[in-house]
Amino acid sequence: MANKKLTILVIEDEVLLLEAISKKLKINNCDVVSCSSGEQALDYLKNLSRKPNAIWLDYYLGDSNGIELMQKIHENKTWSSIPVLVVSNSASPEKVHKMLDLGVKKYLIKAEHRLDDLVNEIKDIT
Amino acid sequence: MPLITQTQNSQPHGKPIELKQKLAIDEAIISSVGDGLIVTDKEGRILLMNPAATRMLKQDAKAVVGKDLIDTVPAADKNGKIVPKENRPLRTVLATGQSFTNHAANFYVRSDKSKFPAAITTSPIILNKEIIGSIITFRDITHEKEVDRMKTEFISLASHQLRTPLSAIRWFLEMLINGDAGPVNKEQAKFLKNVNDSTLRMITLVNDLLNISRIESGRIIIEPKPTHLGKLIEEVLEEVRLKYKSKNQKVVVSYHPNLPDINVDPNLTRAVYLNLLNNAIKYSPEGSEITIIISKKGNEIISQISDNGFGIPKKEQYRVFQKFYRGSNIVKKVLDGTGLGLYLVKSIIESSSGKIWFESEEGKGTTFWISLPTSGTAAKKGEVSINS
Repeated sequence: MANKKLTILVIEDEVLLLEAISKKLKINNCDVVSCSSGEQALDYLKNLSRKPNAIWLDYYLGDSNGIELMQKIHENKTWSSIPVLVVSNSASPEKVHKMLDLGVKKYLIKAEHRLDDLVNEIKDIT
Repeated sequence: MPLITQTQNSQPHGKPIELKQKLAIDEAIISSVGDGLIVTDKEGRILLMNPAATRMLKQDAKAVVGKDLIDTVPAADKNGKIVPKENRPLRTVLATGQSFTNHAANFYVRSDKSKFPAAITTSPIILNKEIIGSIITFRDITHEKEVDRMKTEFISLASHQLRTPLSAIRWFLEMLINGDAGPVNKEQAKFLKNVNDSTLRMITLVNDLLNISRIESGRIIIEPKPTHLGKLIEEVLEEVRLKYKSKNQKVVVSYHPNLPDINVDPNLTRAVYLNLLNNAIKYSPEGSEITIIISKKGNEIISQISDNGFGIPKKEQYRVFQKFYRGSNIVKKVLDGTGLGLYLVKSIIESSSGKIWFESEEGKGTTFWISLPTSGTAAKKGEVSINS
């Protein structure tokens, strides 16, 4: 589905990183919904007319952590089918296993990857 | 005891110190020192235990006299297992007359069965060339261990915190270099590349520090799986192919077709190979050859990685596995290096029950050998894995 414009929900509490990710996704012809907290993301998910094609999720969020948010996404019938890519700087095996068990497609370390590659990763899982 | 009979002190006036007086002085020294002190006879029976030792070991100074030291004061290894009699240094010291110092590896067991980490020195008492007993001095190093743990934890936390700003720098730079914010001129592009190289170097440094703190803290998970070292090294080679191809280097790999699988943690072993290969590539000139040989010798599988590179100066070779060491001959030639790689490699190999050694000649090249037992590495529970 190369020509379809994707909508990506990005959840990242570091403003600068959120800005970089959003900018790069837009350059790559994606629509971006940027959220800097878990609560904001849940609000968007509840109220968006069209569900996003994929979610880009950080592990540590200001108000909650990725596992709590992922649990809510996983339990909701409408949201659980949205593919999720976790991009975090903290990747202990325990966190990674829990996230993968909750249906996360991939768990990657931020500082280890180019933005280009991460954008390709999220396109790949949609 | 030689403490009393072998010294010939005198008072300032020149009068010899009376034996009684000397005894009082020695007794005061023994009672007031903060370190634990135990004296045994040549059979290892306790003759004396000073107040610091009785306090630390929760023993009764009078009741222990005449008892066997090894039975009275058991020692445990870092896993909490009691050290068998024949492995206690006291036996060797009494048999050979050689002193033995154990800085951190052992625990002493108190009379109430609780344990504490101790730095222990066991020395012989020699009279007329004959071993007549031993002196054991020790310190409770609980506090030192705690400080060390806090240091490791701090490094781990600080490194994690550094990753976030480093990600921001890396990603914005990438966009600038890509021209995502408009075109950059030639000189700007060159400067941006320099900034980018330094950022990547800093990310590697942070990752190395994190990996070291994981191993030093003992929190690392060791998950051995049947692994074919030949296949593993081929995978690592694939990862570094671009690097050696860009330097026109040739890599020759050789291993026996029937090389058996061994039970090692593939992620940890991969990190070892990756570090050694990266070094061989980085510290060898263009067009040179790197040789890898994996072979089975008795109960060991030996991996040999040789290069025809810059080598390590003889005078510095004892520092090769020290943290932050970089060869004086390469430090200006090859800029991207943290000095942490080989320290990490050695720590991994040691935690995998293996051995590592090397030979090197400046201007000719370096060979590293690692040996892993065919019996494999023991599994270890933990919280963290490498490169996470």
